[in-house]
Amino acid sequence: MHILIIEDEEKTASFLRKGLTESGYVVDTSGNGDEGLLLALDIDYDLIILDVMLPGRDGWSILETLRRAGRKMPVLFLTARDMVHDRVKGLELGADDYLIKPFAFSELLARVRLLLRRTPQRHNETLQVADLEIEFARQRASRGGSRLDLTSKEFALLSLLARREGEVLSRTLIAEQIWDINFDSDTNVIDVAIRRLRSKVDDPFKKKLIHTVRGVGYVFEDR
Amino acid sequence: MKTDSPGQVKTAPGQSYWSITWRLTWLYTLSASIMLIFASGFLYWVLIATLEKEDEEFLNSRIEVLDRILRTGSKEALENEIDLENVGFTNSQYHTYSRILDESGRTLYEAPGMDREIPSAVFPSAGRSKGKTKRWLSASNKTYQLIAAQAGSDDAGGSTWQIQVALDETNEEILMNQYERYLAAVLLIGILASAAMGAVIARRGMKPLVDIAKTAERVTASQLHERIGAAEWPRELVSLARAFDGMLDRLEDSFDRLSRFSADLAHELRTPINNLRGEAEVALSKPREEQEYREILASSLEEYERLSRMMDSLLFLARAESAQAMLARSRIDVRTEITKVINFYEALAAERKVPVTCAGDGVMDADPILFQRVISNLLSNSLRYTPSGGKIVFSIQDVDNGVEVTCCDSGTGIAQEHLSRIFDRFYQISPSRNPKTDDAGLGLAIVKSIVNLHGGRIGIKSALGEGTSVQVFFPA
Repeated sequence: MHILIIEDEEKTASFLRKGLTESGYVVDTSGNGDEGLLLALDIDYDLIILDVMLPGRDGWSILETLRRAGRKMPVLFLTARDMVHDRVKGLELGADDYLIKPFAFSELLARVRLLLRRTPQRHNETLQVADLEIEFARQRASRGGSRLDLTSKEFALLSLLARREGEVLSRTLIAEQIWDINFDSDTNVIDVAIRRLRSKVDDPFKKKLIHTVRGVGYVFEDR
Repeated sequence: MKTDSPGQVKTAPGQSYWSITWRLTWLYTLSASIMLIFASGFLYWVLIATLEKEDEEFLNSRIEVLDRILRTGSKEALENEIDLENVGFTNSQYHTYSRILDESGRTLYEAPGMDREIPSAVFPSAGRSKGKTKRWLSASNKTYQLIAAQAGSDDAGGSTWQIQVALDETNEEILMNQYERYLAAVLLIGILASAAMGAVIARRGMKPLVDIAKTAERVTASQLHERIGAAEWPRELVSLARAFDGMLDRLEDSFDRLSRFSADLAHELRTPINNLRGEAEVALSKPREEQEYREILASSLEEYERLSRMMDSLLFLARAESAQAMLARSRIDVRTEITKVINFYEALAAERKVPVTCAGDGVMDADPILFQRVISNLLSNSLRYTPSGGKIVFSIQDVDNGVEVTCCDSGTGIAQEHLSRIFDRFYQISPSRNPKTDDAGLGLAIVKSIVNLHGGRIGIKSALGEGTSVQVFFPA
């Protein structure tokens, strides 16, 4: 997967390149609007990450030119200007998503993955990680053969973590996915919910599956 | 007056195109001048008219006298009359000269020397009735009033004469000229005096305005407590002074809040930045294990997160205050939305052993996400201050033209002195008591601004040891 980052702030471009490369993407960067547009027209990228304020040519104009040239690759906007009309403008011009600075890298990664996921996510009937087995249709989970007594929210939380095994999920994303809470709220809530889930899924067993990534969120993994 | 057209140099601030004082002076002078000119003009006219009428009457009476003598046919009496007409009147202004002409216009008799001074041709033509007078300037620069009349027997065939009488008006003319000069001088002095008086009056009249401006100038950022309404102002300025003071009140209030806010903001930023800086400095002071570096980076990440959230909240508040259109209103079922938020907090509430319930129903137009945020912040706050074993109750009430939601907890309560500022940004009742709050004291400020955005109201009641209840009203 080939990603182009057009971003004039060097530090931002550099950590984005590093993070995305390490996540398995091939990344090009450009710090100038005109140069970035030429690159974007020249090479068939799978995704473009675009800053709004750029030297040479701003993000809006790049996006407009690309779409007029018939390029349909997904475009993710980065902006420090958290204005409603900016968002609306970006989406109207054909941006697929936007992130407001400062953003968590995990958040960006999650959105990049979502935009690049061409085939719909597999919805297996069952999922097996280590000795944990989840039957989605029957809303049942068991470890080592014994059934776990989970509430429906706890089951949903476990399912979310297990389906995105190995992916670090931020608290914001969890709140959004499980409770449909779309604003910054008390992050304590997620911590408590995870703690309660762990007490049932991990605590009684030697092998831990839910891990905390400090400062970022939680990951489900068989380590 | 100058007009403000593009391209023209604008006057510097502090200068204005015109001053009220000058305007008043100018108008006052103008009206006084008009009055003076009219009054003296009228008097002058009356005087002239009266004099002219008198002269005319005098001339006519002369003609009558001469006419009567003519009719008697006594030539001697006539010559006597004409020769002696000015005898005995030498000091009078009335010097007359008379001449009698026959039908063919030949001079029968005239006052001595009259043909040189006033030839008969300059007289107006004689009429049957009382003739019109004519003003005429002689070669010797004297002004005469001339009149001519037909005289003699009225019966047909009878001989007719013409009588010409001239009245020397030179003295009168000199008098009038003098009078005119005096009048002009009086007018000029009057106008100048009224201009000067006008300036003084206008200046006096404007003095309160100048005073009020001077008082207003004393109000600076450091002296926002100055008020101008304290002094005794004329009635016209009282409302201005009051409005100005009202504005100052609001300004002072916002200014206080703003400076408090800046101080609080700096303080709130100081803690995470201090942590970041200290950790990084200590980390770099000597080589460390990889695990240690990880710990430090993770800890920084937490601080960054804290800063980010604070910034988000502040931006939200700033936007809400400038009232940019950010409301995505839709019809919401209040109970559904509240239940959703309660479900979100379920785990936390269960852990704290504080049951949260919701009662009542209501429907209204509001931004669903912002409404959830209100409920979330209220609930989060209540959970923080409600000890285990307490409870939190949301009650929804459909009232006139809106919905009222009350969040009532059985928590520790808030002392009365804090209630008025509890919705201020960064306001924390005792910062030390809860060092790790998530919202840095912005939660309730956000609640208030969301309620304000919706055009609603917010109120709080609290008793120490008994609990707190926050009531928000949203118009339907």
